[in-house]
Amino acid sequence: MPAIETEGLAREFEGGIKAVDGVDLEVSAGEIYGFLGPNGAGKTTTVRMLTTLLLPTAGRALVAGHDVATDAAAVRRKIGVALQEAALDPLMTGRELIQLQATLHGLPRSRGRELGDALLHRVGLTLAADRRVGTYSGGMRRRLDLAAALVPEPEVLFLDEPTTGLDPVSRQAIWEEVQKLNAEGTTVFLTTQYLEEADKLADRVGIISAGLLVAEGTPASLKAEIGRPHLELSLADEAGPVERCDEILARFGKPLPSKDGILMVELEHGAAEVGPIVRALDEAGLAVESLELVRPTLDDVFVAKTGQHLEGSEETDETEAVPP
Amino acid sequence: MGRRSLRAPIVRSDVETVRALVRRAMNEITRVPGAAIPGVLAPTIFFLGLTAVFGNLTLLPGFDSSSYQSFLVPVSLMQGAAFTGAATGVNLARDIEQGWFDRLLSSPAPRPVLLAGLVLSASLRALIPAFFLLIVAFAIGAHWPGLLGLGIALVIVMGMGVVAATWGTSLALRFRTQSAAPLMQVGMLLAVLMTTAYAPLELLTGWLQEVARINPVTQVVEAARQGFVGSVTWGETWPGFVALAGLAALFTFTALRGMRRMTL
Amino acid sequence: MIARLAADTRVVAALGTRSVKQTVRRPQLAAPLLIFPTALLAIQTGGAGRAVDLPEFPPVESFLAFMLAGAMVQSVLLAGNSGGIALALDMEMGFTDRLFAAPISRFGVVLGRLAGTAMLGAVMALWFIAIGLVFGVSFQEGIVGVLWVVVLVSATALAFGGIGAAIALRTGRASVVQGLFPLIFVILFLSNAFFPINLLLEPAHSVAEYNPLSFIVEGIREPIVGSFSATAQLKAIASVLGLGALGIVLSAAALRGRARRGS
Repeated sequence: MPAIETEGLAREFEGGIKAVDGVDLEVSAGEIYGFLGPNGAGKTTTVRMLTTLLLPTAGRALVAGHDVATDAAAVRRKIGVALQEAALDPLMTGRELIQLQATLHGLPRSRGRELGDALLHRVGLTLAADRRVGTYSGGMRRRLDLAAALVPEPEVLFLDEPTTGLDPVSRQAIWEEVQKLNAEGTTVFLTTQYLEEADKLADRVGIISAGLLVAEGTPASLKAEIGRPHLELSLADEAGPVERCDEILARFGKPLPSKDGILMVELEHGAAEVGPIVRALDEAGLAVESLELVRPTLDDVFVAKTGQHLEGSEETDETEAVPP
Repeated sequence: MGRRSLRAPIVRSDVETVRALVRRAMNEITRVPGAAIPGVLAPTIFFLGLTAVFGNLTLLPGFDSSSYQSFLVPVSLMQGAAFTGAATGVNLARDIEQGWFDRLLSSPAPRPVLLAGLVLSASLRALIPAFFLLIVAFAIGAHWPGLLGLGIALVIVMGMGVVAATWGTSLALRFRTQSAAPLMQVGMLLAVLMTTAYAPLELLTGWLQEVARINPVTQVVEAARQGFVGSVTWGETWPGFVALAGLAALFTFTALRGMRRMTL
Repeated sequence: MIARLAADTRVVAALGTRSVKQTVRRPQLAAPLLIFPTALLAIQTGGAGRAVDLPEFPPVESFLAFMLAGAMVQSVLLAGNSGGIALALDMEMGFTDRLFAAPISRFGVVLGRLAGTAMLGAVMALWFIAIGLVFGVSFQEGIVGVLWVVVLVSATALAFGGIGAAIALRTGRASVVQGLFPLIFVILFLSNAFFPINLLLEPAHSVAEYNPLSFIVEGIREPIVGSFSATAQLKAIASVLGLGALGIVLSAAALRGRARRGS
């Protein structure tokens, strides 16, 4: 049974705004599924529907085998949720929050205490456990949010932009934790606007743009679909016989038009061919000055599917910070 | 729905949830220095001001009490409860705006249990300004209502707290923004004032007399007022309780409906 | 110098218009200013209206006629407080820094906000006058009386606005100015805004006799329920000027303090 299954999932808001316009996806149990897209693409709306905070206006979705619309209570028992706005109360301590979450899930107080110790230790917040959340840094709040999401030992964990706004160290810590959780069998549905995050963490990626799923697959297969990696190199001896070089390169892949003296060749089989190319050029007396293996990125995939770049393509309202 | 099919109607975990939410609500007072003071002082300040300003109304023939303090105390008690309850609504609006409420909504805790947690804290907190007010009122000569009268008044204070909290909660769920706060506060305040708050029914003029006659909150005011201005009778008490129960039921319905609509 | 004055006037006008627009566009701020005093007026008239039957009650056409002045003063007090809150919010947002850094006199900036409050005062006066007319109040001093009421109320709004602004400038925090809300009612209770002085109980009675607010209320009330008397009007004008001066002095001191602290 898939952990998450949606069929024509859609959400329309007042004014005919289709935040999510018919999404079909399937997440297998034990997978990390990365939902990638720019701001405003519909990621958060999708997550809110899957976590029963919002009803779909069309289509259906099953999470952990239960319908989010008709069997929401059952869904809530099996999921852990860490949303974009770390839903924390600044007046509570970290430990109190974990205990409250445990109570909300119907767990007895003793269990709540146990979980408090265990989960806070797991996310590295033991020392801060009895301090008020209002004193926590951004990274600490996200970690606490993650700990709270783990309280019900969920089958499916939903993380909505878990590392947005965090420094690289905190981000790395969250990534490691997600991987550990997944290794223990938790299915993770993660939304992000960072391709590195999707690339690194996700088993499969779904790319969403303007409410529609425009691409889905493993990061590697998506990138392969778009193109193969190419090698960019420049020769030490500028005056060297370029045609000779082209001839050699052509043996390994398809030469691409050069640019500013940089020769490019699309590789058939990826990085494994770099060594042989360099040796071949060397044997021909052509010294390589610089060499770079350029792989297609998920951004390239995004551009190919939507015509726009992923990162930096936020729907921002460029209003001045002047009060009305 | 399969939610409760194998469990008793009220489960221990529900009680725990309510308790945890009440404890959290208390943090607003216990962990924010000085936060409680305006809510506690305001009803008393208004009480003192109104008795000093309108005290001589008792000179009017037909005023069935010679002490305006005694006459006004129940009104101020209810105002205190009204503000406390409205504050619950304001806090909920803030919690919704800041995403905290999502945590509660995405958990398996049933909606009525969440509401009970929010509202019960209000009814308990309403007793705080009430006690302060009573001390001051007795100090300036309000009539001692007897234990029964006092008990009834305090029960009404708690009931009013529930009514105001469910009202505030309904508005918070409807508007989902803290700027609805004035509506929560003013709405309750007007409901309490458009009664026999300032004077007995016969002495109210024009439109106010008509409104006070049909306003259910008037029954509540009269029930709370009994001991302070005269003797306590069941006949004066039950209409107030019924009115409170009815209002609480009405706003509980709108609040629960509001919670359901959060996902629509 | 003239050019400078002209520029300042334009700034004051622009800022004044902005502050009025702000109030209109944020109804949740406007509600306490008009709706609340109006509702309270209606309730208190209905609830305590029989007081006119009391022998010691001064001769008036109706309790409503008596109460109008108090309702107006309550509104402008709230408007002054609200203006102070808006100024404090501007400060918290950094908007005033932008203004202060521009080549306009700082005092002109504050005056701009006050101009808005004064305009609001005029609107409030007209609102309650309209209510009075609708509900049968005849203004004893006629058109002259009505105009004088509008002038006096606007001036009072300006004065209270100045005090509200002074507090905002001094503390820079909207929450502090907001916290003064109950204090407004205390001052009103300790005056003749809602009931004649001679019928107030202690300690309100004694305080009200010397409360400048009482003089202002009396000055507004006279043309509505009776006829002008020089003493009452002079006392009212003196009180408004006095409060206005207090507001100016406190504001100037707070501005100087800010300039010195570099904030």
